Amino acid sequence: MSASQSAVRSRAEAVKVSRTFDWMIIFTLFFVILGGYHVHFMLVAGDWDFWSDWKDRRLWVTVLPIMAITFPAAVQAVLWWRYRIAFGATLCILGLLLGEWVNRYFNFWGWTYFPINFVFPSQLIPGAIVLDVVLLVSGSMQLTAVVGGLAFGLLFYPGNWPMMAPLHLPVEYNGMMMTLADLSGYHYVRTGMPEYIRMVEKGTLRTFGKDVAPVSAFFSGFVSIIVYFVWHFFGRWFGNTAFTTGS
Amino acid sequence: MAATTESVKADAAEAPLLNKRNLFLGVALYCVFYAWVRWYEGVYGWSAGMDSFAPEFETYWMNFLYIEFVLEVSTAGILWGYIWKTRDRKVMSITPREELRRHFTHWTWLVCYAVAIYFGASYFTEQDGTWHQTIVRDTDFTPSHIIEFYLSYPIYIITGGAAFLYAKTRLPTYQQGNSIQYMVATVGPFMILPNVGLNEWGHTFWFMEELFVAPLHYGFVFFGWSALGVLGVLNIEMAALAKLLKKDLA
Repeated sequence: MSASQSAVRSRAEAVKVSRTFDWMIIFTLFFVILGGYHVHFMLVAGDWDFWSDWKDRRLWVTVLPIMAITFPAAVQAVLWWRYRIAFGATLCILGLLLGEWVNRYFNFWGWTYFPINFVFPSQLIPGAIVLDVVLLVSGSMQLTAVVGGLAFGLLFYPGNWPMMAPLHLPVEYNGMMMTLADLSGYHYVRTGMPEYIRMVEKGTLRTFGKDVAPVSAFFSGFVSIIVYFVWHFFGRWFGNTAFTTGS
Repeated sequence: MAATTESVKADAAEAPLLNKRNLFLGVALYCVFYAWVRWYEGVYGWSAGMDSFAPEFETYWMNFLYIEFVLEVSTAGILWGYIWKTRDRKVMSITPREELRRHFTHWTWLVCYAVAIYFGASYFTEQDGTWHQTIVRDTDFTPSHIIEFYLSYPIYIITGGAAFLYAKTRLPTYQQGNSIQYMVATVGPFMILPNVGLNEWGHTFWFMEELFVAPLHYGFVFFGWSALGVLGVLNIEMAALAKLLKKDLA
């Protein structure tokens, strides 16, 4: 067989081989990225994502988009800039959410018996779709970072509002004013309670809504822009095809 | 005519490009095994895993740990040794079709690596978060750690090492040196295991249960990023496959 000959025997076989590789590659990418992204996310934003009483109007809104935009930026840097595939951010977020939902159901509920409405993961899909759409429409990394990154931060709170609104209703319990989420937390005491008492909802502008959330979202969007830039270049580095040249 | 018949016969007898049986059996092996492990955790985590001084902890958890160590070292030695020992010493002279077949086998290994990474880095790692927010540890070898650190991590390390060795010993693409991103994608997640040393040392030193997002855990984060090295492997593979498929059809 000549060195210039194809490994396949017909165009039909070439197409079949190519499609089969597509599925194997998508499966592998999805689950490897899921693993890396999930271990990153649970250890840099996890406490705010695990428990509904941590999902407050300040740190939850600030921390999660900043930490979540990392892998989508890196994966977009390869899937879009090398293959013109426009769903890098959504692929990452769907992977993360699959990993989280499986865990919350089988482990948080199934092993340690927390109710699902206390441990459901945060919603990140709207921001991911906007990130992909801005890249698709503009074809520009700068615009995606600035417009998409800002939107990623700004959309986080409204994207979660339908699920969180009932849990942020104020209740009075034993003479204390708190949210329903806080009350759930006091009934499910965890080893993280001291940090929760120290960190959640501390500040000078504590309310049951109003200004703190949009201010936090705007700040989060600003930092997300910067993080997008940095992780875009991380993604480019991870996509390189260099080999070591040993002896 | 005779030559044509001969060629058709050869095609019929030829091994398929992708061995689907091996692919599905490989994925099923991880899923069935981890389903059993999860069942074991559910039954013996609460009944025998809460007090490390209790005799039943030794029976159900420490013995599990000792068996893991022996099986993992043996599996790594046998599997990696086999792949290395049976390496192709004339890898640069294989036919394009054989090369394509080996790329499929390589991707079967990578699919298995993806499943192993999912269970290790996602499933059992976040599970550890909820267990230690619920049960205060009195030893480093807790039911969740015995599965997460000492079972699921070695399994993805063994699988990743096997994928890397397979590529290195059987594919012409990887003969020009060591792919930096392939090493990042396999050695980086491997480094999570040594980082357990730092983690466990820290847990014996400070009371760290109050926050999962703790600086002591950031080593895991750093090495978790290295999973993105799979993007570099993807790019190398796409170039190799395009080269194989775009040559003139015979």
